[in-house]
Amino acid sequence: MKKTNIQAYIQVYRTRLIRSFHYKFEVYGNVLMQAIIMLAGTFFWRALFGSATKVQGVTVDMMLTYTVVSSMISILLTTNVERRITQSVMKGTIAIDMMRPINIFGTFLAEDLAGVTGLIFQNLIPVFVIGSLVAGLPKPASLASFWWFLLSLFMGFWINWLLAAVFGMIAFWAIDMDALIQVKKHLIRLLSGSIIPLWFFPDWLRSVLEYLPFAYLYQLPLNIYIGKYTTETLVKGLEVQLLWFVLLAVLFLFLQKRVTGKVMVQGG
Amino acid sequence: MEDKQVMIEVNHICKDYRVLKKGEGLKGAFKGLFTRESTLLRAVDDLNFSIAPGEIVGFIGPNGAGKSTTIKMMSGILTPSSGEILIGGRDITKYRKEVVKNIGVVFGQRSQLNWDLRLGESFELLRHIYRIDKAAYEDTIEVMDEILGVKELLDKPVRQMSLGQRVKGDLVAAMLHSPDVLFLDEPTIGLDITSKYALRKFVKEINEKRGTTIILTTHDLADIEQLCNRLIIINQGRLMEDGNLTEIVNRIAPYKTLVVEYYDEYAPEHEKCELISHEANMAKYRFEKAAVTAAKLIEELSAKAQIKDVSIEEAGIDDIIRIAYGQ
Repeated sequence: MKKTNIQAYIQVYRTRLIRSFHYKFEVYGNVLMQAIIMLAGTFFWRALFGSATKVQGVTVDMMLTYTVVSSMISILLTTNVERRITQSVMKGTIAIDMMRPINIFGTFLAEDLAGVTGLIFQNLIPVFVIGSLVAGLPKPASLASFWWFLLSLFMGFWINWLLAAVFGMIAFWAIDMDALIQVKKHLIRLLSGSIIPLWFFPDWLRSVLEYLPFAYLYQLPLNIYIGKYTTETLVKGLEVQLLWFVLLAVLFLFLQKRVTGKVMVQGG
Repeated sequence: MEDKQVMIEVNHICKDYRVLKKGEGLKGAFKGLFTRESTLLRAVDDLNFSIAPGEIVGFIGPNGAGKSTTIKMMSGILTPSSGEILIGGRDITKYRKEVVKNIGVVFGQRSQLNWDLRLGESFELLRHIYRIDKAAYEDTIEVMDEILGVKELLDKPVRQMSLGQRVKGDLVAAMLHSPDVLFLDEPTIGLDITSKYALRKFVKEINEKRGTTIILTTHDLADIEQLCNRLIIINQGRLMEDGNLTEIVNRIAPYKTLVVEYYDEYAPEHEKCELISHEANMAKYRFEKAAVTAAKLIEELSAKAQIKDVSIEEAGIDDIIRIAYGQ
């Protein structure tokens, strides 16, 4: 094996980061949207809890923390890889990516990491400030739960990215992917616990969702953050999460080999 | 067998595309939601040729002939369905990453430059991708600046550039890593005269100075006449002609046209040529170069009618293209 050209990917990252500061309106729009979601969430949970101190073993303050941290996670899980692939395939600019002596998925990953880095400054910090104002400072349950949360979030990031990359790869065969990407996006919104925690779902549905990858993007890290876990559920959760990570990584590597050179370049 | 140097070797390549069948009208569109019938389209059909180092080859053919597909296969973007392509003796499908380091590509219709950033930023990215050290990079920029005047563009955002400037940027981008082979896919499309001139100058100079092998597709006949010492004509994915310009002209269009202006409206016929048009005092004769000379023809025609003026038109590249495309 030859050495990977790390310098090249760092440069891709740098270039994309410079670019990400060009799109100001898109960025502020997202902050606004997250602010609305958090505000609505605060009203919703406060009204729902009413005078009850605990629902499903969770206090209203835990629920508010949940809402704010969920908004923050959604920023860290922003990927562009699917759109990047489908757009490049549709417009034919994928040819440009393919003619360079570096791995195209390495390029896409570097671009996404740069995008997220940009968003940490442009979105995460404003959302944290706004969230703290409307719902109170989102403190983790304990220091230990914070570290476990980071680990789980890290794996969640990879599951999310690999899922997106695998979806994007389908575009190499089926050019028009926009609808499918939308479906996936909404499935994640609904079934990951990002807005409504899965413990409010009926048992049968919850037990199904526990084996799908979506819950491991939001629900697991959030549960850990607010301290709604036991050693047993923590270990099991992280195990399933790791399993999904490995499964998707294998699928990704398998497809990646097949995709290269398969591409239909649109427009002659 | 003669042992000659080969830069690019294309052996029996084919490329098939699977094209989804789309039914007619609403009914067909609806049916298309549930069934996926597809047909196999052969875009490139058994192409064979080899190109020596330092050649400038014009790759021509009508739209949809498979030119771009072939270029994309030769530059490692597409994989041939069958056959092999060797660049510098190495199979491009098997060793894509290493082989493409030795290739530069410019698509006239799409840019590899980063739209939002300064041109220099895109170059910096390529410098890292191709691992070009700073000194070599500065050298190349210096050389390119002499040919194209690119230094003044380095700080300009690509989105603010004219098409001519953008193509200049793309040409330099493709040459930064000093590749041995440069593919230009319709580089002159949409360019004005000055930019076209600059591009041709660039092609000639890098070919002379660096010995770069250049393959270009174009619809501009002047590009070919001024640049290419060899022509490959393809149509419907198949190789139609391969040779140098005059040789092809002599073979598939071995005639000249004699235009005669008479004093009268009468235009005499001659058994060794064909009267192809006759309007008022003007007559056009087509004759085979091998059958008769122009001098002889003028002499014999002037015996039959009084000639005021003559001119001779060589069969040109447009004749060839018409003939080759017509097949």
